Amino acid sequence: MEDLALLGFGPDGWGKVLVQAGLMTLAVSVAAFVVGLALGTLIAWGRVSGGGMARALAHGYTAVMRGVPEILVIYLFYFGGRQVVTAVGTALGFPGPFDISGFMAGMLAIGLISGANQAEVLRGAWQAVPKGTIEAGRVVGMSRFTLFRRVIAPQALVTALPGLGNQWQSVIKESALVSVTGLVETMRQVSVAAGTTQEHFLFYAAGAAIYLAITTLSDQLFRLAERHSLRGHQQGGM
Amino acid sequence: MDLSFIGTMFLRILGGLPLTLNLWGLSLLGGAILALGLNLLRTTRVGDKVASAYVFVFRGTPLLIQIFMIYFGLAGFGFIRHSVLWPFLREPYWCGLLALVLNDAAYTSEILRGGLRAVPRGAVEAGRVSGMSRFTILRRITLPLAIRQALPAYSSEVISMLKATALVSTITLMDMTGIARAAISETWRAVEILLSAAAIYLALSLIVTQLSVWIERRLSPWQFQRTNR
Amino acid sequence: MTDTSKTVLSIAGLRKSFGANEVLRGIDLAASDGDVISMIGASGSGKSTLLRCIPMLEIPDAGTVGVGEDRVSPRGGRLTRAEEATVRRMRCQLGFVFQNFNLWPHRTVLENVIEAPLFVQGRARSEAVDEAMALLDKVGLAAKRDAYPAHLSGGQQQRVAIARALAQHPRAILFDEPTSALDPELVGEVLKVIRSLAEEGRTMLIVTHEMGFAREVSSRVVFLHQGHIEEDGTPAEVFGAPKSERARAFLASHFDRNRQG
Repeated sequence: MEDLALLGFGPDGWGKVLVQAGLMTLAVSVAAFVVGLALGTLIAWGRVSGGGMARALAHGYTAVMRGVPEILVIYLFYFGGRQVVTAVGTALGFPGPFDISGFMAGMLAIGLISGANQAEVLRGAWQAVPKGTIEAGRVVGMSRFTLFRRVIAPQALVTALPGLGNQWQSVIKESALVSVTGLVETMRQVSVAAGTTQEHFLFYAAGAAIYLAITTLSDQLFRLAERHSLRGHQQGGM
Repeated sequence: MDLSFIGTMFLRILGGLPLTLNLWGLSLLGGAILALGLNLLRTTRVGDKVASAYVFVFRGTPLLIQIFMIYFGLAGFGFIRHSVLWPFLREPYWCGLLALVLNDAAYTSEILRGGLRAVPRGAVEAGRVSGMSRFTILRRITLPLAIRQALPAYSSEVISMLKATALVSTITLMDMTGIARAAISETWRAVEILLSAAAIYLALSLIVTQLSVWIERRLSPWQFQRTNR
Repeated sequence: MTDTSKTVLSIAGLRKSFGANEVLRGIDLAASDGDVISMIGASGSGKSTLLRCIPMLEIPDAGTVGVGEDRVSPRGGRLTRAEEATVRRMRCQLGFVFQNFNLWPHRTVLENVIEAPLFVQGRARSEAVDEAMALLDKVGLAAKRDAYPAHLSGGQQQRVAIARALAQHPRAILFDEPTSALDPELVGEVLKVIRSLAEEGRTMLIVTHEMGFAREVSSRVVFLHQGHIEEDGTPAEVFGAPKSERARAFLASHFDRNRQG
């Protein structure tokens, strides 16, 4: 029972810092997901309506991000980012060394990985938009951008929602890797707590529970959003 | 960039390739066997609940925490320290492999389940009316069709597992990523080292992608070849 | 028909419900060697369920099904281990042709035909291939031996399915609406094959909506209504002078529709 007090909010309890760590996991995940969504949209645009060059670039980017371990990308942003920032800084005459924050490195690294995956989801959804609705937009004189904003994006987003939900789940799990930069999110915090108290299993189990809670709750939210977005589409459903 | 430094690092990192390949291959093998078992478990009501819970936990939490839980967490239990498995579970290699197998099984079982669900009912009925036993139907109809259906998703999972092996470097194993990490702390030339490592992983994943396209063509020729009616 | 010594297939007291819906309400039917029995009736009359109960694709709630010397009387909608073995023996003596062909998509035409001879009956490969080629030749598809089902028309797929059923060396062949899933222009080629089998004296049970065809090839016609056999006689009797009002109404509407179509 005293074990469980370790997880509580009392003077010896780690409860408060674990909650804070959970919030940090959420913060870095949300930031990375937004970066990924922006990048993914751009890449999907490149693959669907770009020229040969844009298409090849988008394709290559996806292949690289699919084939390289996430942890290497995080290292690259964390250590490499520091290396680059320091090189640039000293070249400009500032006294180094410079640092890049774990949050920034993690957000960018996971955002870039997620961007490649989200692009695939968005591209599929984009291509599933009925051609007739696009033609209907053209014949009333919409510009390419208006067409995208008013006709393509709203329809594609509905189709893409389940896929994006999966990508969000991946981002949450990948965010645990940011712990290697020392950013105090869930994974890092439970490691510290486990090391300090020597109650390894207890704290890793608590960490697992935090991730399960986040993934399950957000899964429910995505389902709700899916149902909400499908309201006008009953005839297209089952 | 210093090409001779990159070359040296490239070769040094390649030294971790055998361990990476070893963990990759064995975790896929163990994961596939366990995934088949999980799907067989699903034929009973209780087993279905157990399999669902297993998949829920292992797909809902990060692999990193699973690795740490097995490597650091299991030692906290006296009955494990005194069991015959302890000589294995003390070793980071076996802990890492175990975590990878358990993790891969959760994802692979879902891929296989999707494949099994997609097997047309009629194909199974045709097997039954021709007098096939359950086992013959599984071996000659259900599994071949399910595997073909699951292949594209499974090839993604194979690549995911290659990337997943990189995480064992966090429990002191010297796979390609572990060697790269050590080299960074010696030289602090992270970019060159990480790009070298990334190139090797990328090459391996591209091989898998090509291979899976080839296998898909061989296994499902009717989807690619056109004959005249 | 009265010569019971040559009975190939027998059904007695067969009942089957799906939930609260009683589809078969006590069916008795026997087929002797060489019988060609067409089963007709409105959708939902139970004729397809009856056919699917013979190889136990649907397990009846009560009643007995016999094929050759084997018979089972399953109770409670499931088979015991011993009954399963008997059912497998029964299935090996039957050929079944589905409405949707149900060819195995991952095997070529030839492989579809030799699958059961090789993996159920354990026959030698060369012998199975020779026989399969003869059967494919008979249905006019020997040239397609290496094609996959996805590359064949519906009519061709159904003809392969018939060859696959013949490879069982069946004592009786069961057809479950063999032309219902076909485009109209492909119906003829399949009916032609079935007609030639009738001329060979094969024992067949055919569930069909093709009234003209049933009248022409059958030795007996059975009319089902709400899970009962309402009419059972020669084509001349059933089509020419149906006894029940319902059969009259059904036939009238069908021949009208055929005429319009």
